[in-house]
Amino acid sequence: MTTELTVDEAAQVRLWHRVSQFLFREARLLDEWRLLEWYDEMLTDDIRYSVPATDVRGETADALGLIDDDAARLRQRIEQLLNGEVWCENPRSRTNRMISNVEILTDRGTHLDVAANVIVHRFGHGRSDAYVGKCRFELVVEGESFRVRRRVVVLDHETLYEHGKLSIVL
Amino acid sequence: MTIELQRPVGDRIVVDDLDRLSFRVDRRAYTDDDLAARETTRIFDRCWLYVGHESEVPEPGSYVARDVGGRPVVMARGSDGVIRVFANSCTHRGALICSQPAGQARSFRCPYHDWTFSNQGDLVGVPIPDGYGPGFRKADFGLAQHRSDSYRGFAFVTFDPEQPRTLTEYLAGATEYLDLIDDQSEVGMEVIQGAQLHGARANWKLMMENSVDIYHFRALHKRYVGYMESLGSVPPRRRGGFGRALGLGHGANELPPAAARPLAYWTPMFGAEVRPRIEATAARFVDRFGAERAERITGTNRAVLIFPNLMIIDAIAITIRKIDPIGAGQMAITSVALAPKDEDPDIRELRKSHYLTFLGPAGFATPDDIEIIESCQRGYLNRTVRYSDLSRGMNKEVPETTDELPAREFWRQWDRLMHGDDGHLDVAHRAEMQGAEAR
Repeated sequence: MTTELTVDEAAQVRLWHRVSQFLFREARLLDEWRLLEWYDEMLTDDIRYSVPATDVRGETADALGLIDDDAARLRQRIEQLLNGEVWCENPRSRTNRMISNVEILTDRGTHLDVAANVIVHRFGHGRSDAYVGKCRFELVVEGESFRVRRRVVVLDHETLYEHGKLSIVL
Repeated sequence: MTIELQRPVGDRIVVDDLDRLSFRVDRRAYTDDDLAARETTRIFDRCWLYVGHESEVPEPGSYVARDVGGRPVVMARGSDGVIRVFANSCTHRGALICSQPAGQARSFRCPYHDWTFSNQGDLVGVPIPDGYGPGFRKADFGLAQHRSDSYRGFAFVTFDPEQPRTLTEYLAGATEYLDLIDDQSEVGMEVIQGAQLHGARANWKLMMENSVDIYHFRALHKRYVGYMESLGSVPPRRRGGFGRALGLGHGANELPPAAARPLAYWTPMFGAEVRPRIEATAARFVDRFGAERAERITGTNRAVLIFPNLMIIDAIAITIRKIDPIGAGQMAITSVALAPKDEDPDIRELRKSHYLTFLGPAGFATPDDIEIIESCQRGYLNRTVRYSDLSRGMNKEVPETTDELPAREFWRQWDRLMHGDDGHLDVAHRAEMQGAEAR
C-alpha cells in the first residue's frame, strides 16, 4: 500500500527535516569544539542562551538561573573555552549530544518555535557526566536555513550535586 | 619542602605553631571517614546551623523542607506567624511528613498512615484512633521541634538541647557582618527565587577555605578578571582590605570593591542609565548611617564565614552559600542570591546578571573553584605530603585579605570541637588571636 503525501504534509516533512538537520549540525559543531563557527554561523546577533535553575525549571523571568547569556557573554564563554582558560575544560572534555523528539511547535513564517530533547554526555578529567534536558529554540528563518535567537535548555536533574559544574555549552 | 615540616606532630590534625609562625593541617582531615563521622557528632550535631532566610517563609503557612546538618527538617511559618523548625519525620513510624521542597500548607500529612500535623507542629489527625489505649495522647506525638532562632533574618537551628550559647552569642563577631548585610534595605532583604544546587567531589572544608581565600583570586580566576576588565570595570579606588577572626570559628575578609555593587556603588559597567539612581541610593545611606558606616555598607566587599558551613559573600551580588558534607570526599553546595526587597527591576536584573557571570556551576569563576578543590582532593591521595599549610599572615598584626587568618580561625574552632571532651569549651573571643600571632 502506498499513501501519497498531500502537498501540505510534504512541506511539513521538508521543514521538519531542515530543522532537524540544523539542530544536528549544531550538536555536531558543539561536539567538535567548533564553537566560533557555531557562534558565527548559527546564532543571531541578539542570541539569548539560558539554563534555568533546577528547582525552578520554567522560564521565570524573576528567578535566578544557572546561565543567562546575551551574545557578548556567550562569546566570552566560548573564547575562554577555546583559549584553555577554563581549567575544567583543559584538556577539553569529550562530549556527545543526542538530540531527539524534534518538534515544530509553531511556524510563524519568519520564525519557528522548536522543541527537542537532549542528552549531553561529557567525559573528561576522569569523570563521566550526563546532562539531560528539554530544549526550546526560537529559530529565525534565513533563506533555506535558520539562525537561533533564543536557546533555553531546561535541565531535568533535581540538582547538579553529582556534576558539580556546568562548564560546557549544553 | 623540608622534611621537618612534614614530620608527624603526634597525632595532631591541626598543628598551630605560634613560635614558628606555622599553621598546618593534616590532610587526613579531608580524606578520613572516621573524622567525617566524628564531625557529624562533634560539629553538626552541636553547632548552630543555617537553615534559611526568613524571606523564604514570608507568610503564615509558608514552609521549606531541606536537609540541615544531614538531617531532613521543615522550616514553617505557622498560622500564628511564628517560624519553627521541625524534624521532617513522622512521630509514628518515621516517614517524611513533607516531600515538597517549598510551598504553603495549613497542615502536613504523613502519606504512610495519614497522621496529620498542623503547621505549628501539633498532631491533629490520627485515623482509626480506637486502636490506641486510654493512655494515648496526641500531645505526646507532635512533631519534634528543634531549637531555632533568627538574627537579622538569617534563621538557624541547633540539634543540641545542651548548646549553651544563644544564637547571638554563638555568632560572636559575625553579627557585625550580618548587620552590614541586613542594613542594605529599609524594608528587608529577600532570597531571589532559583537556587543553584550543585556540589563537588571534595571534602566540604575545602570549599569553606576556598570561600575566604582571596590569595587565589588573580591566579585561578584570570578569565573572570579578564572578562570584568573587558567590561570596563575600573580598578579599586583604594587598595587594601584585611582579614579578621570573628571568634568561635567565624572569619571575614573585607576589601574595596573590584567592580560595581548593585546596591549603591556605580562603575561604568552598570551603564549610564542607572547611575543617578545608584548614586542617589548611596547618598541616602550617608544620610541614614553617616559617611563612614554608609561607605562600609555600600562601598565595601566582604566574605563572611560562619562556622561551620555558611558563607555569605557580599560583592557584585550577595550570595548565601551553604555547604553540606556527603562523607569525607563529597559535598553538596546550595547557593542563593539575597537582595533588597525594594530593588528596582532593572537593577535587580543587573544584580542577577553579574551574579551569574561569577557564581554558580556555570559562572566564569565558581567552576574553577570546584575544579581546583577536586584537584586538591585528588592530590591528597599521595599521602607522602602529610600537611597543608595555612600560615600566611601569622607574621602580621593585621593580616591582609591575601592571608589566611579566617581559615585558621575556622580550623582552630574545628580542632577545639573535635578534640575537646566537651564540644562547648568556653573559649574566649578569638579575635585576640590576631595579636597573638603577631607576637
